[in-house]
Amino acid sequence: MSKPFFTVYCLIIYAFLLAPIAVVVIASFNAGAFLTFPPQGLSFRWYLVFFNNEVFMRAIRTSLWIAAMTTVISGIIGTMAAMFYVTHAGRLKETVRVAMLAPLLLPEVLTAISLLFFVYSVGLGTQNLVGMIVGHVLITLPFVFINVSASMESYDPAWSLAAQSLGAGRFTRFRRIMLPLIKPGVIGGCLFAFIISFDVFTISFMLKGVGMSTLPIQLFDYLRTNFTPEAAAVSTCSIVLTMAVVIISEKVLGLRIHRF
Amino acid sequence: MTEVSIEKLTKDYGQGPAVNSISIRIAEGEFISLLGPSGCGKTTTLKMIAGFEDATAGAIRFDGRDVVAVPVEKRDIGMVFQNYALFPHMTVEKNLAFGLEMRKTPKDEIRIRIAKVLDMVQLTGYSERYPRQLSGGQQQRVALARALVIEPKILLLDEPLANLDAKLREEMRVFIRDLQRRVGITTVYVTHDQAEAMTMSDRVVVMFGGRIAQIGTPSDIYERPANLEVAEFVGQVNIIRGKVGNRVVSTAFGDVPVSGDFADGAELMLALRPEAVELLPINSGAMGAQAKVLSSYYSGSLVDYRLELAGGVVVNVQTFPRTRFADGEQVLVHAPADRFWPLGSAA
Ligand SMILES: Nc1ncnc2c1ncn2[C@@H]1O[C@H](COP(=O)(O)OP(=O)(O)OP(=O)(O)O)[C@@H](O)[C@H]1O
Ligand SMILES: [Mg+2]
Repeated sequence: MSKPFFTVYCLIIYAFLLAPIAVVVIASFNAGAFLTFPPQGLSFRWYLVFFNNEVFMRAIRTSLWIAAMTTVISGIIGTMAAMFYVTHAGRLKETVRVAMLAPLLLPEVLTAISLLFFVYSVGLGTQNLVGMIVGHVLITLPFVFINVSASMESYDPAWSLAAQSLGAGRFTRFRRIMLPLIKPGVIGGCLFAFIISFDVFTISFMLKGVGMSTLPIQLFDYLRTNFTPEAAAVSTCSIVLTMAVVIISEKVLGLRIHRF
Repeated sequence: MTEVSIEKLTKDYGQGPAVNSISIRIAEGEFISLLGPSGCGKTTTLKMIAGFEDATAGAIRFDGRDVVAVPVEKRDIGMVFQNYALFPHMTVEKNLAFGLEMRKTPKDEIRIRIAKVLDMVQLTGYSERYPRQLSGGQQQRVALARALVIEPKILLLDEPLANLDAKLREEMRVFIRDLQRRVGITTVYVTHDQAEAMTMSDRVVVMFGGRIAQIGTPSDIYERPANLEVAEFVGQVNIIRGKVGNRVVSTAFGDVPVSGDFADGAELMLALRPEAVELLPINSGAMGAQAKVLSSYYSGSLVDYRLELAGGVVVNVQTFPRTRFADGEQVLVHAPADRFWPLGSAA
């Protein structure tokens, strides 16, 4: 493909991907009473409504809390699984991989229904967030696993051996040698986990307790009966929030890949 | 300084022993090489000394203390890996400091010792570089410095020069040997390169198939090989056959006196190194057997000849190119009696 043509091609794809988001963002500044595009006048009116809407605020807090817990748990389990997979799985390697990726292959509804049966049959129920977080961990785990095991592939086991010969115990070897070198994969995986958990609908919908709600559920619920630009404001905030998480973790933790 | 003694050490991965009941006593400050073909168990032996592999049977003692139950990180060893295994996310200085930090050495002392060891490996001024910013030879020296700066009981190296080009390899041989002498550390060096083992070591351990074929000084190994396998592994060798009679072996070179208990009438193999043979013009009037030049290969400092002696015996000879002989020319060959080394009876 010639260069100008390729540039245009890329621009079209970007436009296709980003235009709907742009529409939502612009619509959220609508001064009118209905969700329309182009907006009738610009204002922050619907943001104020949203920020004063206790139901939405509670849903956002719930979502953030669940996403944070999911990220931590998924990050730890997924990293451990990837370490096992790359260094110790041996003949079981393929089996481990398929098992770890299974949640990606199964339809989410199926996973959600099975989980619902599961949490009730083990007596957990849906009255607390445990079942919900288990579900979120389950579907985000493959992303952590894929990212971490990819960065583990370029990890030379001799680095650990060298550290060991220099007197480093198991924990020090992990913390000072392996973790810094697989960090890009761990952070990338955790970001995926956070964003997916924040966004997931089906699993949350099945496993939510009475009167409990996450942001996507609340938004869906709201849109069934209302059609105000508040929905666009909520969406915009959720986009900004996710992007903020990505950008901040990149700045603070450093996503830069080590070049050898 | 540490004396290392290995007794009846065996490792079996499940398909028969990879290392089979080997015993070595390594003196304080000695440089020992493990030499042998691929798969003979050199690395496995080194890993057991380091503690990376558990021995199936046998003992390893540092200064008389059995270390078999001591984990790697407590064994106080310095290890140099074939691909150096420098930590890529740390500068040279951090790499060198790592082992000292593990030992809770005070900061000031760490700085002093790093400066000293960098000077020793001639890399002063490189402390802020990352490993990827160094050449192969420099990385090699950092790896060496990292292993030495912790002042370990014993230094272990597994084919540390295998990834370097030929010229650098020869430089590093001398460098490592000199450094080891200066520091005086007990060293075990694994290689499959006989020249490397010969030039660097106090003693060489030749291994085949998990067993020790011979332990000795480089000249022992070269001039008095324990058997045919060893003789052929360390450099080129001519095998001269002959019958024993009256303490003399009659060969194509004439009668060669042998010491040792060999029954009269036994067929004996004698090892003769190519450079032990002297070539003289046919009309020089000297003593020697007649031979015909089959071919010659000139390599600058040396010439390799293939010669045919009486009875169709072919030998390789290596000489300085002072006098050149043409292909097909008749020459006199002569080798001192003490350069024939009996390898035992020919089967
Ligand atoms: N982890 C292992 N599991 C099973 N067998 C092994 C293992 N490591 C080594 N072996 C076997 O043990 C034998 C000795 O291997 P070792 O690595 O010690 O050889 P080496 O002398 O270092 O050879 P090279 O010069 O190729 O490095 C080989 O036959 C090898 O296949
Ligand atoms: Mg080896």
